Amino acid sequence: MVKQNKFTVSHAPFWHDGDSIKAMNINIMAALLPATLFGIVQFGMPALGVICLSIASAMAWEALFSFISKRPIIIHDYNAAVIGMVFGMMLPATIPWWVVIIGTFVSVIVGQQIFGGIGSNPFNPAVIGIAITSLSWKSLFDFDSALVNYQFDFTALDPLGALKHQGPQIVDMFSLSSLLMGGQVGAIGSIFGLGIILGGIYLIIRGYIRWEISVAYVAGIILTAWIFNITDPSKYASPMFHLFTGYTLLGAFFLATETSSSPVNLIPMLIYGAMGGFMTILIRNIGVYPDGTIYAILLINLINPLIDKIRPKAFGKCKRSKQCVK
Amino acid sequence: MIKRSFIGLTEPRLRCDLVEPGPKEPEAIPIPPRIILLLNEHLDSTKELLIKKGDTVKKGERIFLYKDSNQYVSAPASGTIKLIAPFTGDFGSLATYLVVETNSKQDIDNSFAERASTPDIEIANSYLRGIAGEPPLKLLAESLSGAKSGAININKIVISGIDDDILCTTRQYVLTRFRDELPKAIELLGQLTGIKDISIAMPEALATLSAFNGMNIVKVSSDYVSSLSPMLMDKYLGISFIPGKTCEELGVCFISVEAALALLKAYTEKMPVYEKIITIIDKNGKKSRVCATIGTPIHRIFSQLGVETAEKDRIIIGGPLRGVATYTLYHPVTPDMDTVIVQDSSQIPMVSDYPCINCGKCVRICPANLPVNVLVRYLEATLYQDASDSCDLLSCVECGLCSYVCSASIPIFQYIRLGKYELMKIESEDVEMEAHNG
Ligand code: SF4
Ligand code: SF4
Repeated sequence: MVKQNKFTVSHAPFWHDGDSIKAMNINIMAALLPATLFGIVQFGMPALGVICLSIASAMAWEALFSFISKRPIIIHDYNAAVIGMVFGMMLPATIPWWVVIIGTFVSVIVGQQIFGGIGSNPFNPAVIGIAITSLSWKSLFDFDSALVNYQFDFTALDPLGALKHQGPQIVDMFSLSSLLMGGQVGAIGSIFGLGIILGGIYLIIRGYIRWEISVAYVAGIILTAWIFNITDPSKYASPMFHLFTGYTLLGAFFLATETSSSPVNLIPMLIYGAMGGFMTILIRNIGVYPDGTIYAILLINLINPLIDKIRPKAFGKCKRSKQCVK
Repeated sequence: MIKRSFIGLTEPRLRCDLVEPGPKEPEAIPIPPRIILLLNEHLDSTKELLIKKGDTVKKGERIFLYKDSNQYVSAPASGTIKLIAPFTGDFGSLATYLVVETNSKQDIDNSFAERASTPDIEIANSYLRGIAGEPPLKLLAESLSGAKSGAININKIVISGIDDDILCTTRQYVLTRFRDELPKAIELLGQLTGIKDISIAMPEALATLSAFNGMNIVKVSSDYVSSLSPMLMDKYLGISFIPGKTCEELGVCFISVEAALALLKAYTEKMPVYEKIITIIDKNGKKSRVCATIGTPIHRIFSQLGVETAEKDRIIIGGPLRGVATYTLYHPVTPDMDTVIVQDSSQIPMVSDYPCINCGKCVRICPANLPVNVLVRYLEATLYQDASDSCDLLSCVECGLCSYVCSASIPIFQYIRLGKYELMKIESEDVEMEAHNG
């Protein structure tokens, strides 16, 4: 008899590429860091407080809900942390603490857990949180009045708010490069365009977000804003202005790309992204809200299941249709 | 283990290993004191067994369980039957295993030799099914006799010199080492089956060897999935794959190069061939090749080579993406066993009970264009028919890549295999029902 060891028996494949949800989430947070740090430097301790509280409360809500519903507590996968971080980045630095806590409750519990938890949310959870809190406490989300006590060395006006109320002549007050470098009034994590773009590109290269969505989204913004702009420049701002202001870049790289609420097939991803860009501009230019990103994202989340049915023919299936008959 | 590269934008490209240049001769493993034989028929207590403990068998003798059995296993060495016991295989299929204590002097059963003067598929089917490489003789015989007329009609044979998983090189080794004998093996296959269209599939990189001149060669890319039979057939033979049908049903029969050569040797030496060439890969990735008698428990091979195994390691029969793990070192060498891999316990990836997060990596990598992200939801809910109707389950070529990349570490591949098995069961039940009612 040979000594019998207990061997591990399981099913093929026996290899794995080593990726995990946790790795994905850590990378997403790392990618969000430049924009967040910039916001913290710009807005100081209150911003740091908001971000920390947002991440912590999001994780706490998830843990609490898992505990109550007797599911395993899996906050160490940082899923809730990412939701909290994204949510926090979309807030003004001066938001009261209780809005943060209510917001993360809405994001994590209403936006994700009641649908069945990670992977089952039809909408981007953080966007649900922002949509509901910003509708409920509109005045707290008015970046101009929220940040009135700050001294800035750039035009201290929320670009999109100004655009809505005063029309595109104000656009000249903002230089594009200053907008890109964070010289604008806005949410903690949304003002530093360059940082968001770099973070997004990092995630694209690492394969953690689907580049098709981001590219289509940006293209949708530019194309739609450009069409508006050339039809009536006195009424509508230029494409680049739209791209670098508000939540646009966050939307393109971090909101629209949330995995479970976005499509995975090529054509649907392009439609989804382009739709997002298109709707954002449509709401900004025609609707009543200064920034349409949030509602545009919710809308494309809604159509995602419908369009993601468009997919390539499976192996062996196309051969029977006419064009492929040998 | 090949991990995800830092740049994850492009999907990982897995390449099949090529046989090393100037390979060493395989190390011969002596016939062990006990061999274990697997017989694909389950023990049925209502029937009278033809064999019992203590019976002696000769080398090459066929062992049948019952009078009406059409499955047999041939004894690769002579000896005494010590044990007859039930055995549970994949998806709970029932089989039987026999332990034979070998004797030092080999008695030889001559019944094949007496019938081996002219190649005949029926004779080959009745004596040579279990030889090295496991030639699909039953299938060929059925196709030729038209027994199940209409069901299977083979008109093309592909001798496969490619291995169907990434670390495996046994077939390539056999192909290059015995390349001079291939023309004769092709001729024999032609005589046996009457089929003229016989080609050899091999990796592109080997096809330049001059020894293959004049043969009908199918050059196959070393990219992992190209070597899987349905892909190969579709891509290189110009025969469209039809989901739900096997290559054989579409007229192509694949036979491993080792099987083709074993048939040749069986006819030239008038003795079935029971020595199987196997590539062993130890924990450090070191490859060695052995030649072992079918039925040899793998611990014999390990101890001769000095391959170590420890608690919680994994022993994989086949390759890392499509193989099967065994729980015992007593697992015998089987006619189709090409590769055995020992995986260190620290290298074993965890499976999780996460749901799909819709990351889409599986959809990107699937060579058969399946919407795996949706498929896994159906399969988890055991909705096999829906999985087939709306997610093309039957188009899957069983490459295992979706599980390999899954961010949530879902055992998708296992779900898929189970799903296909269950679907087959539903279908055959339907057929039976119809036959019953009609
Ligand atoms: S095993 Fe997975 S990746 Fe491979 S063909 Fe099937 S579904 Fe696609
Ligand atoms: S790789 Fe896994 S988690 Fe990602 S979409 Fe496919 S099944 Fe879902």
